[in-house]
Amino acid sequence: MLWICLRLPQLAIELRPSLESGPAAVTDGAGNRRHLIACNEAARDRGLCVGMDVPSCLLREPELRLFARAKADERRALHAVACWGHQFTSEVCVDAPRWIVWLEAGSSLRYFDGLSSLYTRIRDGIVHLGYTACLGVAPTQEGAALLALHRQVPPALNRIELRRCLQPLPLTGLDIAPDIAGQLQAAGLRTLADLLEIPAAALARRFGPGLPRHLQCLLGERSEPRRRHRIPPAYRRRFDFPEPVAALEGLLFPLRRLLQEFEGYLRGRDAAIQQVTVTLCHRDPAATVLELVTSSPQRDGLRLFALLREKLERTVLPSAVTGIVLAATHFVPPAIMQGDFFDDRQRRNESWSALLDRLRARLGEDAVRQLGLREDHRPEHAWCIVKDIEQSGPAAEFPDRPLWLLAPRPVHSLPHLLGTPERIESGWWDGQDISRDYYLARTAEGARWWLFRDTGTGRWYLQGLWA
Amino acid sequence: MSLPDAKPLDALLRGPRLWRGAQLARIEACSTGFAALDARLPGGGWPVGALTEIEPACAGMGELSLTLPALRAICREGRSVALVQPPYIPYAPALLRSGLQLRSLLWIQTPSATEALWAAEQLLREGAGAVLLWNAVTEDRELRRLQLAAETGKACAFLYRPPGSLQHPSPAALRVGLSAAGDGVRLEIVKARGGHPGGVTLALDRPGGSAATAAERGIRPAACAKPPT
Repeated sequence: MLWICLRLPQLAIELRPSLESGPAAVTDGAGNRRHLIACNEAARDRGLCVGMDVPSCLLREPELRLFARAKADERRALHAVACWGHQFTSEVCVDAPRWIVWLEAGSSLRYFDGLSSLYTRIRDGIVHLGYTACLGVAPTQEGAALLALHRQVPPALNRIELRRCLQPLPLTGLDIAPDIAGQLQAAGLRTLADLLEIPAAALARRFGPGLPRHLQCLLGERSEPRRRHRIPPAYRRRFDFPEPVAALEGLLFPLRRLLQEFEGYLRGRDAAIQQVTVTLCHRDPAATVLELVTSSPQRDGLRLFALLREKLERTVLPSAVTGIVLAATHFVPPAIMQGDFFDDRQRRNESWSALLDRLRARLGEDAVRQLGLREDHRPEHAWCIVKDIEQSGPAAEFPDRPLWLLAPRPVHSLPHLLGTPERIESGWWDGQDISRDYYLARTAEGARWWLFRDTGTGRWYLQGLWA
Repeated sequence: MSLPDAKPLDALLRGPRLWRGAQLARIEACSTGFAALDARLPGGGWPVGALTEIEPACAGMGELSLTLPALRAICREGRSVALVQPPYIPYAPALLRSGLQLRSLLWIQTPSATEALWAAEQLLREGAGAVLLWNAVTEDRELRRLQLAAETGKACAFLYRPPGSLQHPSPAALRVGLSAAGDGVRLEIVKARGGHPGGVTLALDRPGGSAATAAERGIRPAACAKPPT
């Protein structure tokens, strides 16, 4: 086992992308115990830091905006990061209150070409999601979590290295109750080396059985009881804005993050989608639903984002958006592209279907059409608009037909008729039966018309042009 | 009396130091399918990666048949052909009969001309073999954008314009006016980049021409034998 620990120390702030301007902080606790658990860069620049209590913060920075901790949002964000993490490994664990996600790397090292390559991928990926992350690598989860707090410590690949790495570290990062930490401090213990020298039984007698148990987990002498995060069979990600957002720009950042998380989830499942639903919630119960349909299996988050953006720009939002829900239930096998050095046809097809998706997203589903045939003698029923052409239709012999078809329009002065007429009499079964004599005609300007005379009424109509 | 010696002149012409205008204009083109027209056009066909303007005198002149052989070749290469904002319904049976694959055909119909222009530009830029656009584009800037998009995507752009448009200047590489000439169609080349203006008459493969009679085209004789009046 080799765990990569992702600590997201700014999670509470970063899951609210609208808090970027001006000093803002997230608080926890009630009454006089309210203290900061995360603050943005503007607040840090003004000398505020995590752990300060609210009154003294407000004294320093009266314009500080404070937000209460939203544990449900944090849990959702961590769940999404864990889903995203499944693309790297099958074993993922989450500690929501501490904002930690662990990925088991030992079994994926060969696939990702070694630890440093995997480490870089994970680190870059999490940055792309818009989170600040501290990474630690160790054979135990708690060990990795502790190493993640100390940036200068190298990865510990086995237990011996872990012990060596841990020894000089201070006790402040240990996940133990605050009163025990205080007692340790009072006893003059400063580093883990000091603590590890003391026998476990003595520690248990003085500080309770929890401390030696924690140290054993830390060093890998005892297994860590933590539930594995399971990849959900259907994807649903909810995101709530702290304040309703009316401008499109405000929606784009979270949407991009959501779709990138979704890409990680799809990679983890080795699946792709052709349809994903994005629901924009408003204050009133009616929500704006955007259906994203792609013509080929898709799992590229940025490409989906580009499509969604086109769609959003065409959508009129009835009111400010309070939340976003991304949901997908139907998954298809991904279209894996095999690189061919000499033939770029596949790549061309790929970009062509992406283009069609973009056109559809911007112009609407109905604007982008493909033609198909129907087996009917009536000219207006012999063609249709199809969504996807699999085969090129019945390649039967067709009689000569004009390239342009018109809705029949009455003709008052008859042009010069050519040749013999063609009678089409059909459609008695669906009530739209016709009985017509079709003629070819040449107008004075040299255009070729396709005319018919309704045999019932004797009236003349123009229905086609030989363009 | 002897003719002046032509050898020094030949040597000069063959030499690499002398560049002539006709050699300079290397124009990429795809055959129109009409030998007479190919001979008239610089590069021997419709310009590839450039804008071609076609101005038919009226609809049904053969304005689409004129491009069909080239479109067929593009389809055969596996590239797509897009009809953007056509004035009437492109009739699938006739298109299939004329040798186009319906799979490679795309029909874009948008409510606004601006959207259509945008779609045409995107299609030209990203992989369509040919884009046929019916649009009352008047702005020089828009024409230039189409021209640029065609250049980027190495595609053929055909812009069908209403009568009278050819009087105005345009950045298009080729500008052609269509009019009827007996059974065929007369092409008036108003502008050809790298070539000369001129005219050519073509016999298009359309019914009612001198080339084909009704019987040859397989029209069933109808019960109503008497031509109506």
